[in-house]
Amino acid sequence: MSTHAHAAERLTADDWSGGTFPYHIGHKKLGMWLFIVSDALTFSALLIGYCYVRVSSDAWPTPFAFYPSIIFSTVMTLCLLASSFTMVMAVAASARRDRRKARRWIGATMLGGLTFLALHIYEWLHLINDYGLKPFTLPATWLERWPQASPLFGATFFAITGLHMFHVLTGVLYLGYIALRIRRKTHEDVEISGLYWHFVDLVWMFVFPLIYLLSVDFHPPAH
Amino acid sequence: MSTRFGSLGNLMKKQDLILNAICLLFAAGFVVMALTNVRRAGNFFSIDSLFITLVSLLLAGIFMVIPLLWAYENGMLKNLFAAEGDDTPVEAVPVHFEGTTKLFLVILGALLILTVVEVLLAYIQVPLVLMLTLLVGLSLIKAALILAYFMHLRYERMSLVYTLIPMLVICICLLFIFFPDSFRQLGLRVYR
Repeated sequence: MSTHAHAAERLTADDWSGGTFPYHIGHKKLGMWLFIVSDALTFSALLIGYCYVRVSSDAWPTPFAFYPSIIFSTVMTLCLLASSFTMVMAVAASARRDRRKARRWIGATMLGGLTFLALHIYEWLHLINDYGLKPFTLPATWLERWPQASPLFGATFFAITGLHMFHVLTGVLYLGYIALRIRRKTHEDVEISGLYWHFVDLVWMFVFPLIYLLSVDFHPPAH
Repeated sequence: MSTRFGSLGNLMKKQDLILNAICLLFAAGFVVMALTNVRRAGNFFSIDSLFITLVSLLLAGIFMVIPLLWAYENGMLKNLFAAEGDDTPVEAVPVHFEGTTKLFLVILGALLILTVVEVLLAYIQVPLVLMLTLLVGLSLIKAALILAYFMHLRYERMSLVYTLIPMLVICICLLFIFFPDSFRQLGLRVYR
């Protein structure tokens, strides 16, 4: 029976003929790809909304000094890139049916994600406690330095980085679940969790330059 | 179909021709509409004019889909969409993984170098527009590397890439329709 099904599949197996697996990938993986595309649109809408507000404002605060903000966000970027690499190694190990190694590599990936989260939360607390940044009001010291600056700075910053942080957190939990139950998971499941993780990394590649690198404080006031 | 039902096949052929003619007519109509708008709009770079042009061209494109698909099925566009000879049999989605550790290390190195370049760029004080272009350009290269190698898209079927990526790019480009409005808002200030 199954050989018949496979024969039928082969008959219609060129690129656009449909069949049971139209793209030669499993249905779960296709589902993850479609989710990634829609999530990418969510993030692009947020980032383009941020650019819109910034362009239509008279002034925009550029408060990120080299220490701690820029150095922290750069290290966070390196963490995410490194964790993407370890995730690829996990998927490679899983493709070789080496589940123990795959689990270890996933553990390393989760470590990268947790480091990212810790540094990011430190950075948020720095902005909230040391400066007094709020979603819809700027700190008084910032308004002195950048008169007429848009109060929406906090809203865009917290919304975009917050949503990204939420994605990283879900990614870590998802990877933890996969690592715990890796003996009952197929290679495809590991690969799908990898896809999600790389997507989180990919989004940060746009958040980092647009939010941080375009708001560098070149002459921070001495404390 | 046409071998078993000769007359029916002929009828279908006729219907195909009529359908294609109607579709081409509509597509041409929308192109004419877009061109008229370009000619008649006082200020082409206004949000209304850009919107009308874009929507007309989009509708023209949609009406072109059926004739193009028909032409493709009749072997008129074969070399345009030639597949890359991927005829591996499907066995309930076999495990498919390509790429070596060395390759992934090279990609990781490239991504790290690009990141460092971006941070250095941020500290060279260049005009904002140039800076934005450079940063977004570098980020797009990084995103392409991640998509192609880490997300394995380079080794998947091209049909998957064609399904996912152009749609995403078109939707993101449509979001840019808001930008003329943001410049207009800046000009509407009563103070200053």
